[in-house]
Amino acid sequence: MAITYDAVKDLTARLYEWSLKRIPDDTKLALDTAMSTETNESARQVLKMMRRSADLAENTDRFVCSDSGVPVYFIKIGSGARFEGDIKRAIRDGFAHLVETIDPPLLKHVTNPLSQERGYAGKDMPIVSWDVIDGADYIDITCAPKALGSGRWADLEIFSFPSLEEIETYILEVIVGSAAQQCPPVVIGVGIGGTFDHCAKLAKMATLRPMGSTNPEPVLADMEGRLLKAVNKMGFGPMGTGGDTTALAVHIDYASGHGFTPVAVCFNCWINRRTRARLYNDGRVERIE
Amino acid sequence: MAKSYRFELPVGEDDVRQLELGDLVTLDGEIVATGGLPTHQRIIENIEGKTELPFPLDGAAFFHLPSYNVDEPGGTRIVYLNPTTSTRFNPLMPRIIRHYGLRIVCGKGGLDAECTRAMQEVGCVYLSILGGGATLHTEAVSEVVDVGWTDLISHYRLVRMRVRGLGPLTVGIDAHGNNGYEILEAEARARLPAIMAELNATRRT
Repeated sequence: MAITYDAVKDLTARLYEWSLKRIPDDTKLALDTAMSTETNESARQVLKMMRRSADLAENTDRFVCSDSGVPVYFIKIGSGARFEGDIKRAIRDGFAHLVETIDPPLLKHVTNPLSQERGYAGKDMPIVSWDVIDGADYIDITCAPKALGSGRWADLEIFSFPSLEEIETYILEVIVGSAAQQCPPVVIGVGIGGTFDHCAKLAKMATLRPMGSTNPEPVLADMEGRLLKAVNKMGFGPMGTGGDTTALAVHIDYASGHGFTPVAVCFNCWINRRTRARLYNDGRVERIE
Repeated sequence: MAKSYRFELPVGEDDVRQLELGDLVTLDGEIVATGGLPTHQRIIENIEGKTELPFPLDGAAFFHLPSYNVDEPGGTRIVYLNPTTSTRFNPLMPRIIRHYGLRIVCGKGGLDAECTRAMQEVGCVYLSILGGGATLHTEAVSEVVDVGWTDLISHYRLVRMRVRGLGPLTVGIDAHGNNGYEILEAEARARLPAIMAELNATRRT
């Protein structure tokens, strides 16, 4: 028994499609909660439209947003997983097949940064990050397509031995600097430490954490709760037109590093696209999100 | 307190001058929509007399609202549509707003101070439309009137369409020089010292 080219091709494509048509359950719940706490009447109307939009997309098998982004996958390979066929090619072929078959069709968003030409394929597409899970007999695949609306506001700065206050100040400045253009209420991911590349990945991975989960590190659990309250005092509100609901969650992760400390901040827009499944050696698919 | 309005397009100067930040507007009638930077550049070329417009833009409701549109035997059909970030077009919009006397610009994320000045001069408002509202916005499209610049990819084309009950859309910039986005950003910056003081006071570690 092994994980086949066909199974990976099919599952990565389906995860992409699901992510475009249905927002995660935790995100629906967070929007519902926001509707009950939001004090700005226009903001409540916008939140209400968000829920209607998400429900309608789910019920009619349509996209929540027309910007389907570019395909981004995070794959963890179990050390006991066995493969039959090319796995990287399967992911590439899966997206190409999705482009040909998905209903409704996708717009051309894959952009060559040197020529600005847009299409469905390009260098390094789909973007895949790899990791390993010791002992597992499956691969764990998360799909989180990324579009311009929220993607362009991410930021990273490198400090030397920063205090927690300096780190928190920087995070808030990034948020104010983006002036809530990322289709809030957003999920904010923060990475602290490691290296330049690892820190950015920590921030991205943090956005994928289920909402309501708490960081096991007490310093970060405290920071997440305080920063969420702080961001929601800024007043940007849903779609940045005023209100109490600018962020649905702040998720932070850290890594040890040297004395230089990168801090990375990135955003998911309110639809918070994220799907995840495990594919086992015996061909079984377990849908996680 | 935010007021709610329902307008039949095209709107007049008086219609938009009465709107205040945060008011909610629902629209019926004809809009022009695109999501492309090359499209905006071609419109500028028209202002400079270098190219023809596929249809007039004078007094238009101009939407940063790219669509997946397909040409079918009976005409063009909008499969879906959803807004893009307007600030991407900040450098080009003031000339477009002034030259054509646009009455409404609609998209997400707002526009800058120079655009706001242009809007104040001609009598134009910026309306914020929900991002991630593809299904709702698509349902509001009743008819595609014309599609220009079909050599461009779908979301860059200039699409003239009729909508029914599009919205509610939130007034983000009024026709009197008030830019809600800049006001909110300034207020957030003004609040930052107090927010930081509270963050420091509540830090447990």
